[in-house]
Amino acid sequence: MSRPDAEKGRHRVQLFSAEYAANPHPVWQELVERCPVAHSAGAGTPVITRYEDVLAALRDPERFSSEMEGALALGTQRPMIPQQIDPPAQTRYRKILDPHFSRRRMQQIEGDVRAHARGLIDAFCERGACEFDSAFAVPLPCSVFLTLMGLPREELARFVELKDGIIRPEARENDPRDPAEIRREMGARIYQCFDRLIDERRAEPRDDTMTHLVQVDFEGRPLTREEILDISFLLFLGGLDTVTATLGCSVAYLARNPGLRRELAAHPERIPAAVEEFLRHESPVMSVPRVAKEDVTLGDSRIHEGELVMLLLGSANNDPAEFGDPSVQCQRERNRHLAFGAGPHRCLGSHLARMELRIALEEWLARIPEFAIAPGETPIYSPGIREVRYLPLVWPPPAPGQAGRDGSAA
Amino acid sequence: MSARLRVRLDASLCVGHGRCYELAPEVYGEDVEGHCRLLHAELPRELEDAARRGAANCPEGALEVEEG
Repeated sequence: MSRPDAEKGRHRVQLFSAEYAANPHPVWQELVERCPVAHSAGAGTPVITRYEDVLAALRDPERFSSEMEGALALGTQRPMIPQQIDPPAQTRYRKILDPHFSRRRMQQIEGDVRAHARGLIDAFCERGACEFDSAFAVPLPCSVFLTLMGLPREELARFVELKDGIIRPEARENDPRDPAEIRREMGARIYQCFDRLIDERRAEPRDDTMTHLVQVDFEGRPLTREEILDISFLLFLGGLDTVTATLGCSVAYLARNPGLRRELAAHPERIPAAVEEFLRHESPVMSVPRVAKEDVTLGDSRIHEGELVMLLLGSANNDPAEFGDPSVQCQRERNRHLAFGAGPHRCLGSHLARMELRIALEEWLARIPEFAIAPGETPIYSPGIREVRYLPLVWPPPAPGQAGRDGSAA
Repeated sequence: MSARLRVRLDASLCVGHGRCYELAPEVYGEDVEGHCRLLHAELPRELEDAARRGAANCPEGALEVEEG
């Protein structure tokens, strides 16, 4: 929890704990009301909390840079492209990547995503219970990523292990090694895997993202092997964990709010608006880092040149100054949320994420409109990215012979 | 009768959130990079509400609906 220190105008916030991740809204509310710049417990990193200031920082890469020393902390050997480089170089890469991740492109794989989602639900629907994270939230985005990238779906378990090893090395069972060492090893294995895929697609092109990367014209030349690896690494990390986390947060919210759940089951056309509200209200990516390129004064606080800064998307997305009543409201007329960031680094995968989330909720609510958190159980949220690592759900199982969504079970 | 409205797009601000063409596809389209493009040189009166809804949801402030 945050501890107000009114005299100095400083709040200390613990931004990396499971308790905070499970229930961040009281902290966010206090911060936006009282403290435009808080400081993280421990390192004392400045944390920008209000919508207007976070938006301005996201849109100002000259003062708030994405190039930082800590960039290599996630098992990478070089900065990820384009997330960890600044314009103008960043913008040149986005020019060749944006078309491949546009909404129109994503519409082409919608049928495939729906089939993945249905297949997963088929496996547990009749049981009347599942652990949502492992049964659905993890495998769906992972299968979609593998298909999109051009990797065999049989690799799913291996990729989930690599992803978790990078993002949560401390949570690995029976692995006493230093987290940094685990990350380095997992990172090296990811590079290796994409390295092999580059050779395969150069020899034999297909219709997938890796083929696009090896063939695309980048200002009159092909991308180098290192550039392709640095882009692929980002797609891997960005494509898996964030959608998993948003699915978990959204379904946990629906499990606790039967009114909204029934409304969406009865009116699936309202699901897109609900997706935007979950992204905003739940803010699964709670914060993003930047480095100040010059001294910046915000209210009474001074941020120094060279200092690491956290932009707290979660508090910004629940700031009453922008959103009025910040509770989930699907009828909201204006929702300029920052869950995908803003400015030049606006999430490359946002159209993929939106589509996956919409289809997942459509399919889930069509098959399992009534569900709840298993009695006596408490969901567990992971710190950092708010993945609901443990989300046991129960629902009335369909009567035998009526398992199919369209009566086609027999 | 009130004056006709028109939509102004500042393409230098658009980064492709796509909120406009998700919410008001009858007014806003997407180019190959997923950035906004305006579908009407003259905004038909019956699309004014849709135009406003799309513009109000742009996080970059790239769209304005104003009297032409």
